[in-house]
Amino acid sequence: MRIREDLNPFRRRAAWVSTLTTIALAILLIRLFDMQVMHGKLWKARAENNRLRRLPIEAPRGRIFDRNGFILAENRPSFQLLLFPDEVRDVGRTCLFLARAGLGTAAGFQELLRRRIGNTLAPQIVAESLSWQEVAAVRAHQSDHPELAVVDGFRRDYPYAKLTAHAVGYLRQMLPAELAAHPGVSPNSLVGATGAEALMNATLAGAEGERRVVVTAIGQQLGVVSSQAAEAGTDMTLTLDIGLQRAAADALGSESGAVVGLDPETGAVRVLYSSPSFDPNIFTAHLAPKAWSGLAEDPAHPLQNRCIQGLYPPGSTIKPFYALEALTEGVVTPRKVVHCTGSVVLFGHTFHCWRRGGHGIVDLERSLEVSCDSYYYRLGLALGIDAMSRWLGRFGFGRKTGLGLPGERSGLVGNPAWVKRVRHHPWYPGTTISVAIGQGPILATPLQLARAYATLANGGHLIIPHLVERDTPIPAEDLGLRPADLEAVRTALEQVVHGSEGTARAFHDIPMAGKTGTSQVARLQEGVRVEDMKRRLRHHALFVGWAPLARPRLVVAVVVEHGGGGARAAAPIAAAVLEASLKSEDAAAAP
Amino acid sequence: MEHRFDAWLLLAVFGILGASLTILSSLDRVLSAHLFLRQLIWGLIGVGVLWIVSLLKSNFLYRLAPAAYLGSLALLAAVLIAGHVRAGTKGWFVLGPVSFQPSEIARLGTAMMVAAWYARRSRLQLRFSEVGIVGVLIGAPMGLILLQPDLGVALTYLPLLVAALWIGGMPGRYWVLLGITAALFVGAGWTWGLKPYQKERVLTLLEPARDPFGAGYQVRQSKIAVGSGRVGGQGLGHGSQSVLRFLPAQHTDFIFAVWAEATGFIGSSAALAAYALLLWRIWTAAVHAKDRFGLALASLIGAWLAFQVFVNLGMVVGWLPTTGITLPLFSYGGSSLLTTCAALGVVGAVYRDRFVNA
Repeated sequence: MRIREDLNPFRRRAAWVSTLTTIALAILLIRLFDMQVMHGKLWKARAENNRLRRLPIEAPRGRIFDRNGFILAENRPSFQLLLFPDEVRDVGRTCLFLARAGLGTAAGFQELLRRRIGNTLAPQIVAESLSWQEVAAVRAHQSDHPELAVVDGFRRDYPYAKLTAHAVGYLRQMLPAELAAHPGVSPNSLVGATGAEALMNATLAGAEGERRVVVTAIGQQLGVVSSQAAEAGTDMTLTLDIGLQRAAADALGSESGAVVGLDPETGAVRVLYSSPSFDPNIFTAHLAPKAWSGLAEDPAHPLQNRCIQGLYPPGSTIKPFYALEALTEGVVTPRKVVHCTGSVVLFGHTFHCWRRGGHGIVDLERSLEVSCDSYYYRLGLALGIDAMSRWLGRFGFGRKTGLGLPGERSGLVGNPAWVKRVRHHPWYPGTTISVAIGQGPILATPLQLARAYATLANGGHLIIPHLVERDTPIPAEDLGLRPADLEAVRTALEQVVHGSEGTARAFHDIPMAGKTGTSQVARLQEGVRVEDMKRRLRHHALFVGWAPLARPRLVVAVVVEHGGGGARAAAPIAAAVLEASLKSEDAAAAP
Repeated sequence: MEHRFDAWLLLAVFGILGASLTILSSLDRVLSAHLFLRQLIWGLIGVGVLWIVSLLKSNFLYRLAPAAYLGSLALLAAVLIAGHVRAGTKGWFVLGPVSFQPSEIARLGTAMMVAAWYARRSRLQLRFSEVGIVGVLIGAPMGLILLQPDLGVALTYLPLLVAALWIGGMPGRYWVLLGITAALFVGAGWTWGLKPYQKERVLTLLEPARDPFGAGYQVRQSKIAVGSGRVGGQGLGHGSQSVLRFLPAQHTDFIFAVWAEATGFIGSSAALAAYALLLWRIWTAAVHAKDRFGLALASLIGAWLAFQVFVNLGMVVGWLPTTGITLPLFSYGGSSLLTTCAALGVVGAVYRDRFVNA
């Protein structure tokens, strides 16, 4: 060692280092100031959030009953597994634990957690309808996984499953847009997707409650800080009659189609059945069911509610309305006749009546009884397409009925203005002739048909169909039809069933009236019989009618897709439903 | 020459130890342990060690340096063979109820060796070969520690290297070279050396929302604890993060967070002031040292202590990834406490041998 060495250079270097460390400490001091003094409140709030857990208390949804008190939708208790994302320490470990408890695959849970929507601090349902064993498996390891909690909630149950799938509907999770619009609502909430569940969602949904508890880092609950009870939803009674619904389903069987039943006086919907149907109980889960895509991609479209979404050319079922119009306009009288030879030549084309040899002399009543096409070709020309389309509009064709179910379609009443706008060519006179027998650019839903026929049944009042029981009736619009004209048409429709030549005379033992219809799907080839055609090219079968004759209490519209003939395929179903309704009413009336 | 003890240094030491014991006693209730008692015993032993070591003469330490260094290397090698594995590293000797980490002691031995080697140099600046020697002297124990493997403790040797080269006087162009080499090492280490969980820790720092569940959890809880202390603190034993066990490693890595939560800004700044005082006294000893050896030795000790303080506090406030580096004199742990006290004793020894009028 050298003594008296000049250490100054080294001292300077040491001084630099000390300056550096002082600056470092000063920076830390500033950071602490920032965190503790400037933003202390914010951190304190986060600390609160850390230790206070919000446990949602699910509200039971309002139950749904049919008109006779049979329960169509109820709530079953269900154990749900909640995950608090804020408290997850190791995602992989949590997912593995859930998989080992038998609740799913680890990869599935990873995906579920990734697809988190809405408020990320709120608990997420990761499994539901837990069995006792599963609950025990989770609770046994609760302290290892404080981020999980088993709570009791509800699971929607539809006892009549396929029978009411379209009418009652099912539930779905809220969309991100909806959650954003309602910030206080839990992301686990379910809302009605279709049917009555959707229509009356606001009334059916209750309000979620909440319990705030103090928890430690291992999920141990130390005490309840505050508690807000859940509000149950309001129960609802529908106008639907489950007995009639079952009759409709049994009669329709495995065919594709729809049955709509209305009370002609009030517009109450008694039957709303669409086939093929599905089991809505698979949609009651908070988690997206695997079966969804199978249903969505099924070529038979079971999810479609054909009662309000199926669009069909009405075929002959539209004829009574033209007859009524012709009477009202004075174009015909009940006695005026037409000679049907089986074909008419108009504009240089030959238009055939469905009966090869023709019907001979046909007056108004007979025209409906036997469904003579020639009569209506002439009628259509006489009325003109503009008048016809306006007239149909008065009966509710071409617009929504006011039932309010989501997804309802308006149908179509084609006219020159529409053709010009959509097809960009002028109206061909031949189209008028097609429209006169309910083919061509004219489409209606079974609900529209039922409603229009209700007008005929109740003396000329356009009712607004409704699915939910009301204390006060909805006022119906009086169309101002002459009673004599209505009577003529009604008598004719009675003859369809009770006349010797009626197209539906097979059912004359039932006090019903109505009209058969067959709407073409594909052009008939010469010499080919309907029965020999491929199914999807076959005509749709329709029938709309009511019972009893004197003061009708139920109007039924039936569509059987590709069913062939209206009398053969659709009338029996309508007859079955009307018969069932008469029986139940008699039973109700009996002492 | 004066032979007085440095009162300020002792004041700082007692202050920090006092805070540590206070907070540990409140943690005892939460963690159901006997931290206070144990730390008290270690603290008393530590102060004793500090006093005894500072009675030594600077020249004696100079002569002791090579033996201390070789002994350290031997211990580091031995622990690789006969040591206990704790937290994934084989770095501990366990003798009954007592356990100690040779890597902590080795740091003091290495500092002494480097300082002693400097004392024999006569130049103002280091030559390339000399830089290499410094590198080897420090690199050897670092390498042995990395074999354990213990990245955290190995990192605390880096300030030794940097301070040694700075004090010794490395020409500017060598610094550039060192910078490039360091960058290469970091790059290589990142790609092949670091384990995934270590990489996650760094990445989470840059983007806390990246993984709020795993690696980000500790950082978040620590920040919440510190911030929620606000100005006056939540009170001892009342801190929600610590009492409710949200904060991990409360008695070791994150002990400052517990202190900050309990005593707020007032307490945190007081603790910072105590460390500032401590470091100031160390630098004073360095500047007033009578020879190169004392100056270098005090500087190296100051550098590594400052590094530890900065890294640990940086982690607690969420600036740096969790590294496992403890807070000197504050974190619970006998090994760390004793070696820090021994180092401070060495500083005291240098101080006692200083020039009064220099």
